[in-house]
Amino acid sequence: MTEALIKTEGLTISFGAHKAVNNVGLALEKGLFTTILGPNGAGKTTLFNLISGLLTPTEGKIYFKGADITSLSPIQRVKMGMGRSFQLTNVFPTLTTYENVRLAMQAHEDIGYRIFTNHRKFSKLNDKTDAILERVLLKDKKNQPASQLSHGEQRKLELGMVLALEPEVLLLDEPTAGMAIEEVPTMIDILQRTKDSGTTIILIEHKMDMVKQLSDRLIILVNGGLLVEGNPEEVSQNPEVLAAYLGGGVLNEVSS
Amino acid sequence: MIKQQFKGSNKMNLLLLVALLLAMMVIPHFAKSATVALISRIFILTVYGMSYDILRGYMGFINLGHALFFGSGAYIAGILFTKLDNTFGIFILVVLITIIYCSAAAFIMGKIVIRGGSVIAGAMITLALGEIVRNMAERWRSVTGGADGLPFSIPPIFRDRLHFYYYALIFMLVMTLILRQFLLSPTGRVLLAIRENEQRAKFLGFNTDKYKMIGLQVSGISAGLAGVMFGVFNRFANTDLLSVQQTLNALLITLVGGTGTLYGAFVGSGFIAFVQNTLLNLRSQYPIFERWLLFFGAMYVLVVLFMPSGFVGLWQKLISEAREKKKGSAVDAK
Repeated sequence: MTEALIKTEGLTISFGAHKAVNNVGLALEKGLFTTILGPNGAGKTTLFNLISGLLTPTEGKIYFKGADITSLSPIQRVKMGMGRSFQLTNVFPTLTTYENVRLAMQAHEDIGYRIFTNHRKFSKLNDKTDAILERVLLKDKKNQPASQLSHGEQRKLELGMVLALEPEVLLLDEPTAGMAIEEVPTMIDILQRTKDSGTTIILIEHKMDMVKQLSDRLIILVNGGLLVEGNPEEVSQNPEVLAAYLGGGVLNEVSS
Repeated sequence: MIKQQFKGSNKMNLLLLVALLLAMMVIPHFAKSATVALISRIFILTVYGMSYDILRGYMGFINLGHALFFGSGAYIAGILFTKLDNTFGIFILVVLITIIYCSAAAFIMGKIVIRGGSVIAGAMITLALGEIVRNMAERWRSVTGGADGLPFSIPPIFRDRLHFYYYALIFMLVMTLILRQFLLSPTGRVLLAIRENEQRAKFLGFNTDKYKMIGLQVSGISAGLAGVMFGVFNRFANTDLLSVQQTLNALLITLVGGTGTLYGAFVGSGFIAFVQNTLLNLRSQYPIFERWLLFFGAMYVLVVLFMPSGFVGLWQKLISEAREKKKGSAVDAK
């Protein structure tokens, strides 16, 4: 077994009496594409918020690359190589597409607190930004404000911003949420290429064709708890999972 | 083609700018001395307005204690010119001390405000900090002259109104260039990102608190330097310069001119000074203008109602609409 890149131990967070994530112990391996599945309200996004540092757990520990990161700020976790996207589109709306990605690139390249050099003068940043825009197919929209992009394009832009960080692990929260169905294949394509380049990806997703095509591993969360973890075939035949999904129509699709 | 149009409008802007500069250079030779003084004042208040725009327009931070930088600049000038000597050497010292003082004040303010508070909480805390400084100036009579204010004499080089006009103009131009350069720097870009979406900026790995601190420093020092010039211009400092009213002046300058535009501060301070002046002049003819503040307030209401993004915002909107139309007609012609 390869080394676990992200590991959680007894991870729990309660909002009042409600335990949104309850005693979750995960080991996510390096280089694998893991998909987190579960019904609405199962705690998938909350789990992401805990791993990325938006929320602090009530109990339990989180390890990243073997180091305990439970008490680190989101900023520190990003610097360690963790990138995340959000379920609701989260970009800089009045800035141009180009500037959105360029800022992400600037954050990654860590050029320091320069206050009197024009931001356009960093040709390395500009080149890399262009490369990212090409990768997420937004090159012809680079001078448009992000708010004028279509929803699907904004999702791609957000992915581009995370890719610019060149993270070791990519946490993607429903990157195709609200996307037109014709646009989904391009997204799958972008993710496939990212996966092939060696990035560890953890995905929350409902679209089954996408999960089927990409995942090496599935994790099922139900009511804040970890139900099953394993490779797609194993998981889809697990009786508990079938019960949780009320007949398991969804998962039959995975195994077929 | 779009690029060409863009270039064309840039050229026009440049020409306009040069024309405006030339006009500003020759105006004092033709205008009355009262007008020269008024325009010098506009130049200084422009810098003050720009310093506020960095916070409000670019960083999305409402500072209701901003006058503490501006007023302190004027007081530092007044105190040093009175206690030491009124020479040019002391003026340099005043500038240095103002920079150090404002940087320290911004640091303290930032440490208290920036840490994770909401915009409203920040506004309230800065309001309180501003009032503390104003109260201190009022109580510390032996140094500041208390509520009576502090009249002082200035270095001879600044006494001529016509010469001072040019100093004020140069001051404004230099500060505009510096602040513009700052806003175009990578750090300035991050301030924009913070305004747009602070959470996203954090999840890109930017230490947003640090960037906000830098923004506050730059803004505070600029306001302090504007305060020094304002003090030298008036040869007088009083607690009004530290009051909330003075902060609101900056807010209104950016509001009328257009937030997040930097140049809006010039338009805003010019327009406000012009309206104020006109209303005050009307007093001698029509008694109702004794209540000139009434009209002044009405002007603000109208501006906010009909030009929510100020003059510069309106101008940009008109230009982009004209461009769209041009594009539209070009498509029709095809």
